[in-house]
Amino acid sequence: MQIELKELSMTYPDGKQVLRHLNLSLKSPSLIGLLGPNGAGKSTLMKLMVAALMPTDGLILVNGQPLAKAERMLKSNLGYLPQNFGLFDELTVAQFLDYMAALKGLRSPKMTIQEAIKAVNLVEKTKSKIRTLSGGQRQRVGIAQALLGNPDFLIFDEPTVGLDPEERIHFRNLFSRTAQDRLVLLSTHIIEDVQSICDQIIVVNHGRVLFTGTPEELIQTAVGHVGAFWEKDLIIEKGLHITSRVNTRHGVRCRAVADKLPSYVKAEEPSLEDAYIYLISREAVQ
Amino acid sequence: MKTICLFHLELCRLLKSRFTYLIIVLSVLSPVIGLILYKPAAASTMLSIYIANPAIAGGMASGIMFGMLAVFELDRAARSRVDILIYAAVSPLCMALVRILTLMIAALITLGLAMLVWLPVSKLLIGSVFGFVDYVLAYPIFMGLAMPLGILSAAAAYQFTQRADLTMVLFAAFAALSLTLWADNWQLCWLNPCVWALSDDFSNFRIFRSVVYMRLTWLVALSGVWTISWLCLRQYGKGLLGSLLLSVRRIYRPTVALILLTFSVIAYAGQPMVDNSNPDETAMLFNEVPYTEDVVCTGYTAQIFPDVNAGTLSGYTAYQFQNGSGQEQRVAFGINPGYAVSNVKANGLDVPFLVSDYQEYNEAMLEITIPADKQVELTMEYGGFPRENANMSTMQGSTEISEEYMCLENATLSPRLMNVPPDENMYPAAIEITLPYSMTLIPFGNSDAQVVAEHENGTKTWRYKRNSTGGIVYAGNYIREEVVVDGFTIEFYYGSKHKAVMESAGAVNAIKSVVDYCVEHYGYLSFGDENKLKLIQSRVLGGGYAAGGASLLDEADFTAENLSNADKGSESGEVMIHELVHQWWGLGNMFDVSYPNSLWSAEGLTVYTTYRIVKELYGEDYAQKYYVAQWQKAVDDYYLDFYVRNPEYLAALPADKQLEITDNLTYVRQYCEMPLKILKAEALVGGEEAMDKILNGLFNRELDPMYPYLTYQEFLNACGLTEEDLNLA
Repeated sequence: MQIELKELSMTYPDGKQVLRHLNLSLKSPSLIGLLGPNGAGKSTLMKLMVAALMPTDGLILVNGQPLAKAERMLKSNLGYLPQNFGLFDELTVAQFLDYMAALKGLRSPKMTIQEAIKAVNLVEKTKSKIRTLSGGQRQRVGIAQALLGNPDFLIFDEPTVGLDPEERIHFRNLFSRTAQDRLVLLSTHIIEDVQSICDQIIVVNHGRVLFTGTPEELIQTAVGHVGAFWEKDLIIEKGLHITSRVNTRHGVRCRAVADKLPSYVKAEEPSLEDAYIYLISREAVQ
Repeated sequence: MKTICLFHLELCRLLKSRFTYLIIVLSVLSPVIGLILYKPAAASTMLSIYIANPAIAGGMASGIMFGMLAVFELDRAARSRVDILIYAAVSPLCMALVRILTLMIAALITLGLAMLVWLPVSKLLIGSVFGFVDYVLAYPIFMGLAMPLGILSAAAAYQFTQRADLTMVLFAAFAALSLTLWADNWQLCWLNPCVWALSDDFSNFRIFRSVVYMRLTWLVALSGVWTISWLCLRQYGKGLLGSLLLSVRRIYRPTVALILLTFSVIAYAGQPMVDNSNPDETAMLFNEVPYTEDVVCTGYTAQIFPDVNAGTLSGYTAYQFQNGSGQEQRVAFGINPGYAVSNVKANGLDVPFLVSDYQEYNEAMLEITIPADKQVELTMEYGGFPRENANMSTMQGSTEISEEYMCLENATLSPRLMNVPPDENMYPAAIEITLPYSMTLIPFGNSDAQVVAEHENGTKTWRYKRNSTGGIVYAGNYIREEVVVDGFTIEFYYGSKHKAVMESAGAVNAIKSVVDYCVEHYGYLSFGDENKLKLIQSRVLGGGYAAGGASLLDEADFTAENLSNADKGSESGEVMIHELVHQWWGLGNMFDVSYPNSLWSAEGLTVYTTYRIVKELYGEDYAQKYYVAQWQKAVDDYYLDFYVRNPEYLAALPADKQLEITDNLTYVRQYCEMPLKILKAEALVGGEEAMDKILNGLFNRELDPMYPYLTYQEFLNACGLTEEDLNLA
């Protein structure tokens, strides 16, 4: 599966321009992390990719074909977990997945439903009505429906919201396994999730792509721009973004990113989060 | 394949919803409203009461409820935000199609359940005249078809607005229009079809056809509207117009919508059920057509072939004229507006003819130019689906042509000559009608019909003669009973389905008693000839009528419900007597339409006469107990009634409530108070013999052609009494 975005722009009817001249190429197998602050355009980008929205300009190519022509093919090969979704409360987990399997046109879906239920650890709840499930369990049902039929292209928008740490790790591993032979696009605010499983990262802000590459490449961009200092030494300077603040016995230890580190800041190895914040802050300055 | 699979899944999902269950259960139970609250079919036939009313009420309620279910279901995915998951897999258009089909199937299941539940109930309530065919047609047509209309209209409104609250307002307004402003327009009242009666004893195909036509017209129209709303379904984050522009790119979609809408408009405008008769019923333009000069009609023949399956008729008629004018003349006929005329020939040659657009009293005018020849034989073919009078469009069903019943009146039977006078033989006519073997032909009037040929295709040809330009014939699966009283023969024709009811009511004995009594006390009926009278039970009409040698009895008077009406007699046989007495007090001496709250009507003298007959049959004690005492009790209660003592409170009530109370009070006044007054008058004038003499005089009085109705004042004058004399207080 290959998805190409060419000069993609999206402006909502109220005049708000959310995406501007986006150019991207996504190719399986890959697990791509989509990062960006709130309102950056991540969800809009995902909605465009699942044909829930139509771009105001530009093209989306699916395996080289325009989305308008390949929509049916895309939808039959797509697993999508949106950020905000609902379920039919009156159905059981199995019935709901059966329903979604039918929507996806899966024939004899019993096996794939069982696999999906197993994958999201909901075997005990198979016959429970959805209205009886907790928030985390509903999220897992959402993930399960996306996994149905082993689609070639998976889009997860904030999939680990509402899950406890143990479940998060479980799903990170699941996504990683899933992406071995498929294209998975994962949007999240949790940098740790991205760092641990994604082989590609796309950072968007203000509707533009700021970065595409591997996590290591993103980290490399921040080398020399991350440092630590004691708060008592702080001199307010433009362009210095404090990323952490830790109370210690000796005082408050701060970590910051900046284009040019002040002299009282001691350079340190950047993390992915540092690199991400550096990228975003640099764009803000520009 | 995917759509079928989706449809199955969506149906299963729909049927798992508690709200769906609730709607289905309420819809199945909703016909009960027609037994208690909502009774649009006003006739007192058993099928009107126990099938038409429940089915129509059920249709109204279930149509509304399924509309609500449609809104609930269509809004559900958006409300619970499952839509984003669903539309990632299938397009909103595909899903909307699946949902509407699913709702339709749920409606079909509901109809099936309702029919199963109400079958034994209806059968039990209706008794021996229950008709399975009527039942299996009435429920799907009156109730079943209301549900898809409710679903389509509500779904269309939702797809346009995408807002449940606004949709509910629009849907409520659309339903309210049908129940109020459109209620008297048979083509517009989509929710509550204009069905005023279903016949117990005869068939109801005409009214079923009418309702089916109306409902299918709406179904096509709403399918068109729904298709347009479907094209407006929001897609790709676009608004209504943006989505519409995207959807119409596949040209077949808007084409289908336009075809449906166009077809519905054509079906609406070109309806075949009723004509375009002038709504001004005082207009008599056809009576003003000038008579031809020096042309007389010397006779005519007609061969008529009803198609009892299609409800149509075809005919061939030949008129003979003597044209003494020496020039061409325009001859005018009245013809049913539903008929097409063809092959018009005079002396074997085609002649020009014209059918007027103007229609009056269920007739269009057919004008034919006949040649200047001295002897002219004018022949023509005509036929089609007869239309009924537009001014009676809410009471359709009278022009029934089926294997069970047929009523053809005047221009519906054959073209009615308008402007050519007869010769001395007064329009001698020979009419032949070919009918299925099981049907009996009864010409209304003195004529007798004979079978002149039997055909291999299961039909036989009847022939009768008459002397008139118009005429009425009845045909059906009739039973004929002959009752001879003092040399006077009554031919009593009633529907075979009514045999059990007629036997248990002792119809033949009742006829004997009534004829015996009434002929002796009042004289022969003015519309019977000296030796013979046909009493013909007609399909439910809302009244009866009489002509020379024949009188019509509305089947509604002989329903089990009516025959058990204690106000008309303590037993069904006595009610039968009551209804037959109306031949004397009610038809020949027709009473004018009584004013609201008026005690003078045909009922007073009829109830009094019934009492007198019963007194003769069963003795004074019986008559006193079951008649006089009953009247007295009802009248005593009447004078104690709160609204009678305080009419100002009645005036303060809403109009419909006022009408309901007034109707009940009027009923007591006409059926109980008036007979008591007549009884008092009897005492004041010197007893029964004196009263009989007075009534005999009134019955045989010379009628004023301008106002032939018997009035209360005439009665008082004949008795030499005043209204105060008959005061019961």
